Amino acid sequence: MAPLGYIEILDAKGHVIERHGFEAWPLNIGRAYSNQIILNDPYVCPMHLAIAPDEQGRLMARDLDSINGLRDGGAQARVPTLELQSGTQFRIGRTLLRYCSIDHPLTPTALDRSEKVSRLVSPYTSIGVGLFVLAMFCLDAYLSSIERVKFVNIISDPLPMISIVLGWAGLWALASRIVVSAFHFPQHLTIAGTAIVANTSLRVLSEWLEFLFPVVPVLWSTALFGSGVILAALVYGHLGFASPLSRRSRLWAALAISIAMVGMNAINDYAARVKFSTVMDYDGILKPVDGGFVPAVSVEQFFESSEKLKTELNKLAHKAKAAP
Amino acid sequence: MKSNYYIAALTLFLTLAPARNSLPAQPARATTPEIFKQFSEHVVKVEVVETGSAAKASLGTGFFADGRGRIVTNYHVISKLIHSPERYRIEITDVAGQRDVATVLGVDVVYDLAVLRSERRPKGFLTLDSKTVEQGTRLYSLGHPRDLGLTIVEGTHNGLLKHTLYPKIHFTGSLNPGMSGGPTLIQAGRVVGINVATEGNQISFLVPAERAVALLEKTASAANPNPASFLAEVGEQILANQTRYLAGMFDVSTPRVALGPYDVPTKPTEFFQCWADAVRRKELAYASVSHGCTSDDYIFVSSEQSSGIVNFFHQLLSTDELNPLRFFMLYSSQFQAANAAVFGNEEEVTPFRCQTRNVNSDTGKLKTVLCARQYLKLPGLYDAVFKAATLGSRNAGLVSTLSLSGISFDNAQTVSRRYLENIKWHR
Repeated sequence: MAPLGYIEILDAKGHVIERHGFEAWPLNIGRAYSNQIILNDPYVCPMHLAIAPDEQGRLMARDLDSINGLRDGGAQARVPTLELQSGTQFRIGRTLLRYCSIDHPLTPTALDRSEKVSRLVSPYTSIGVGLFVLAMFCLDAYLSSIERVKFVNIISDPLPMISIVLGWAGLWALASRIVVSAFHFPQHLTIAGTAIVANTSLRVLSEWLEFLFPVVPVLWSTALFGSGVILAALVYGHLGFASPLSRRSRLWAALAISIAMVGMNAINDYAARVKFSTVMDYDGILKPVDGGFVPAVSVEQFFESSEKLKTELNKLAHKAKAAP
Repeated sequence: MKSNYYIAALTLFLTLAPARNSLPAQPARATTPEIFKQFSEHVVKVEVVETGSAAKASLGTGFFADGRGRIVTNYHVISKLIHSPERYRIEITDVAGQRDVATVLGVDVVYDLAVLRSERRPKGFLTLDSKTVEQGTRLYSLGHPRDLGLTIVEGTHNGLLKHTLYPKIHFTGSLNPGMSGGPTLIQAGRVVGINVATEGNQISFLVPAERAVALLEKTASAANPNPASFLAEVGEQILANQTRYLAGMFDVSTPRVALGPYDVPTKPTEFFQCWADAVRRKELAYASVSHGCTSDDYIFVSSEQSSGIVNFFHQLLSTDELNPLRFFMLYSSQFQAANAAVFGNEEEVTPFRCQTRNVNSDTGKLKTVLCARQYLKLPGLYDAVFKAATLGSRNAGLVSTLSLSGISFDNAQTVSRRYLENIKWHR
């Protein structure tokens, strides 16, 4: 016989904990074993609630003179009876319940992307990303050198960094093996390599922006926030293969770690700025670009805006003199 | 020439006639031991004593300049007291070992002089002689080198230095730390200069006596000035002096020197010394040509602060081998290098604050940086560093740095601007 409907027991966030189908009226709910649905809630009476259609055919929930009563939709109002539509929530004792008819509307079916994701993190992808990172490190070593360089230097310079990346992926693979019983080393290597490529791209981009628009502290802000985003994505990606956590939990964990790291960096920066130093702190990045493409101010504007410097120094001096 | 000398000597004799009575009778040609014996009792050791520990914090020499107990010494000898009057006191000790406390009556920070007063009435005093002395004249300097006791040093007058912020006598003789503020006499016993500095190897410098005369006149009616008031006066004197030495610096008449395609300023005034060098080595993939100028002189403000120092340094970098990206790694690192030596502490100065912009000049675009910090005890005075790097070329660039110490912010802006306008190039 097909069930007439379902009573679902929900947690505080509205997620279904238990689901009970029923095939006949009345449906009794309480702590007593004579009920069709037995709740293990000390605030629920042995015979607490009965559900049955009334004379007009409406499905009604009726309080059986319980001590703590029937409450509407999880709200506070205590009611003797409550008409139930499919999806109606109600509370008895401290238990939140929901009635669903058998034709209750459902959310669309989610597409399973796991196959696509696993293609992205296949060993071939890992090798491709690894080679790309190696090439990027070699190029960086070449461009950063101002002396005549040999091929062997270009290859050997990035080796320590490559070792660190491999070690990092290895540690995550070990964690994966312990927690989810699979190494997933290529996947972790792909994630780490992608994060390095993203970070390097961000650095190059922010250097150019800082050069073109020195008035905006691009380097500082991207170092702080851009790196924070990349770190969050990195942790999120690793946790996807190294833990059974849900997406939401991974996201929260990644954000928490990233915010903690960004926060510590920001505090460090602030402390360094407050600390007295005789070093001049300025960004003097220069790039090989035709002068015509460089936004510039006039000489007058440069010295006019330097008045702000004077104001800032006056404030600093005032603060230093006021300090005990 | 000889007759002029006699006329001048006669004039001087008449001018100094009132003071003559205070001087012992002079032998026709006194020997060094006689000079020491005659004048040593007018010279005192000057110590700035830290009141908490009663130990000396700085040491110098001074001499009685009148019968009222006024003593001439160097500003730098007593500068600690000027900066922290609550922490120090001045003690003087004569050749017989008698100690007394002295107070400051006035200072001239630009000429590094100070006038003190002791309650003691001296037995005699030394007379200051503003008259020009012929080069080669034998001089006798008195002082307390390294606290070893009063010493006499023989030397020669070698005229006034030409490349200084203020006139200084070139004294060929060995002055040593502790002799600062002591008198340097001619054989007749008159003071022609006050010991102020040395560069070793018998190259020493004296403040001309006329500046001490001027300060003595200025402080003639000074009663008991508040020691805390001198710091503000020091600041005012430095600011007023800037008008003199910065006027015209880096104006249109400033000579320029060519560094590759760049024309850059050089030796703006006589008191600058300029040097140049080039680095072209086989193992380097680039070449560097540098040209720098430094002001010969500075004004002592405190042990950690100076004013009047103007340095600038140009560096041309070029390459035929490095590609533009690699060359600009080098170029950026040179531009970001702090090649302006700075020191200071939290009690004296604020940290630096900088402004960076791309600037469009008459001949092209440059990346420019102006960094400055403020003096805490001398309001209105700043240290400033201005840097510029030319843009547009892919295999050559010029980094130029100007450092200014102890100047007003307005002057830092004005001089930096003139400096920037003097950097020109052709493509």
